[in-house]
Amino acid sequence: MLGASLNAAVGRGAILLGLLVCLFGIGITIAGIRQGNLKALRSSAYYAYAAFGAALLAFVIMERAIITRDFSLAYVQQVGSRDTPALYNFAALWSALEGSLLMWVLILTGFTAAVARKFRSRRDDVLLGWAMVVMFVVSLFFFLLTFGPANPFAVGPTGVTDGPGPNPLLQNHILVMFHPPILYLGYVGFTVPFAFAVAALITGRLGEGWLLETRRWTLYSWGFLTLGIILGGWWSYEVLGWSGVWAWDPVENASFLPWLTGTAYLHSVLVQERRGMLRVWNLSLVIATFSLTILGTFLTRSGVINSVHAFSEGQVGPWLLVFFSIIVIAAVLLIGWRGDRLRSPGSIDSPISREGAFLANNVLFSLFAFVVLLGTVFPLVVEALQDRRLVVGQPFFDRMTKPIGLTMLFLMAIAPVLPWRKASGEILRDRLFWPACLGVAALAYAVIIGNDGWAPLLAFALGGFAAGSALRQVALATRRQGWRGFVGRANGGMIVHLGVIVISVALASSGAYTRSQEFVMEVGDTVEFSGHTFTFEGLVLESDPVKSSLKAQVRIDGGPVYEPARSKYIKQGMDIGTPSVKTGFRHDLYLTLEGNVRPDDTEARIKVFVKPLILWLWIGGGLLGLGTVLSAFPGKRRRPEAPVSEGLEARV
Amino acid sequence: MTTVRKRIKSAPGWLVVLFVFVVFLVVGIQRDSGPSTPQERIDAVSQRLACPTCDGESVFESRGSASVSIKKEVARLVSAGQLTDDEIVKTIESSFGEDVLLVPRSTGLDAVAWALPVAVAVVAVVGLVIVFRRWRREGSVHASVDDERIVFEAMREAQRDS
Repeated sequence: MLGASLNAAVGRGAILLGLLVCLFGIGITIAGIRQGNLKALRSSAYYAYAAFGAALLAFVIMERAIITRDFSLAYVQQVGSRDTPALYNFAALWSALEGSLLMWVLILTGFTAAVARKFRSRRDDVLLGWAMVVMFVVSLFFFLLTFGPANPFAVGPTGVTDGPGPNPLLQNHILVMFHPPILYLGYVGFTVPFAFAVAALITGRLGEGWLLETRRWTLYSWGFLTLGIILGGWWSYEVLGWSGVWAWDPVENASFLPWLTGTAYLHSVLVQERRGMLRVWNLSLVIATFSLTILGTFLTRSGVINSVHAFSEGQVGPWLLVFFSIIVIAAVLLIGWRGDRLRSPGSIDSPISREGAFLANNVLFSLFAFVVLLGTVFPLVVEALQDRRLVVGQPFFDRMTKPIGLTMLFLMAIAPVLPWRKASGEILRDRLFWPACLGVAALAYAVIIGNDGWAPLLAFALGGFAAGSALRQVALATRRQGWRGFVGRANGGMIVHLGVIVISVALASSGAYTRSQEFVMEVGDTVEFSGHTFTFEGLVLESDPVKSSLKAQVRIDGGPVYEPARSKYIKQGMDIGTPSVKTGFRHDLYLTLEGNVRPDDTEARIKVFVKPLILWLWIGGGLLGLGTVLSAFPGKRRRPEAPVSEGLEARV
Repeated sequence: MTTVRKRIKSAPGWLVVLFVFVVFLVVGIQRDSGPSTPQERIDAVSQRLACPTCDGESVFESRGSASVSIKKEVARLVSAGQLTDDEIVKTIESSFGEDVLLVPRSTGLDAVAWALPVAVAVVAVVGLVIVFRRWRREGSVHASVDDERIVFEAMREAQRDS
């Protein structure tokens, strides 16, 4: 009991400490800036380290409480259980609202401390000082959430000796360990460019300096967010049993929205670096990306939108809404205040140019984000105005986003070959010919092997076109620079493009050409479907303290046995299906056990999905990750710090 | 060799590429076969329907009892073989209510969800056209003689340093 009370007291104390440290960090850093007190300004780093230390302590204490099954805490009563296996018990920390916000605080203060460490030689810089202030303010807000409305260390009712454990869907796949933390690394990481953008607005240093300072931070955050989203799709595929990777669920959309604006920013920032243009636009994109992380958190943590993975209604909704409103209003006021300094010095000479393509790319990404946001919040609007239920799901999003996605692929084919300033028709004809041939070859191959439908066929053709364009760039770069032709933003970016293309083709294929059939099979029956044989060899019951699983043993093509199952989670009383997947380069065989089955049944309903190219989704994800890492290395020709559009006097 | 390459990439070469593209695309679209098993039709239809008792899931994804009943009804209508997919969706809608659809309607307030993205796209394209026209009219910023002198001196200095 002493240990139990210690967990609550130390955990809450750590959060209070973090809260106060952020408060002092804000005050002292602002005072240091205002009074030109360098000692005070330099001390902001120590506050950042202290805030991180406090968050880490709170996190460790919560893990300790969960691992030692301290059921005096309400949160452990909610997500803990004596029977949960160690791995899932560890991950239980982020399986509900309060714990996930604690993880948010840890990552956020970690980023703040990392910024303080990275820029330690420039602690006298006012721009860095204001960036630290912004990060302290955001950290303070999240410390406040975990201190007040989402307190993970609240003491629960006495006498509780066991809990239900995490949601069953959060304790049947290893990806629960990786998907949420990696997603949060991306989500929260966008606070860094946001902080520097606001600092640039406050100080009036609106050149390219802040962009260059945060380029890698943005890139890494984007990479983590991308990886987190892909792992989420993989998890959904392996766990939920409906054979899909993306359902346009509000929580999925909440992670996708900042990804879209973040991706737009990664492209448009090149125009500012190169030509000094789009300053307001880039600031707006950075601010929008961060704001969307807060809006998404509000939508999915407040209970206003129903979703299979939204956490239960908490008290954090109004807090998040107010914080989101403050960010948006403050950002608009700051941009308005600095309007005179944000005017771009140049213009885009021709729409058929690299910068013209980036502009079109940004319009498409913004439109995509608008459609996703509209579809996500539209049910709220309808409910508020007409008091009726509306669910906006996959058919709406598919119909609205397909044309945008295809246009993006087309642009992805054209843009890499375009020169800056202006491209002639001759250049386009010359550089795009072989990529176009590859696109047509991809289309021809798809048609010859029997594929149909305008949308997937266009996706294959445009995918081949874009891949040809990316490969051409990589080939030229490696011919010129050897192995360095793979690194640097432009070259690494082409690897990222290849990853996106592979994913697009895989999504188009699996979406259009999935085959499915349901079979009622007696023990010993063999059925044939889509060129494969499936033999039902019986049902096996396996029980452990957490669940009892009834597994159907299905031998595929006379080879290994696969076991789709239905599991009854004893404490939650929940019955969930678990698919079994045979993975292949051409297609996956995805088996589920349907209906209500009993151990003594001699027949079972087995559903078989033949899902083409699913493995390529994960391979494409790997290419995206690889491309992101390669992009972070400096290219050969230009130092990463060297601004390209500032006046000469700024360099000397 | 260069001449051959240039010829391949000339207008006739592009016309051949375009022709092959159009031919294969038309062939592929023409033979759009749709679902090949009754189960695939059931899946396709149930992906268009919202589970009435779940949190934003489709009937296809959900394993709730309400979704199971709707799936059974869809399966019955598919196996009867008299209705198209759209007619099956309408039949389910008349039985379970309009909130069983996963898309906004095309009338009233719901139409905004369909129209607004199109309007935004049109505004964005028109905006881009106007901006590019203005940029073309204004012309791009050109370096003055003084600018060129500064660059020249800076380059000479850099050469001297290296």
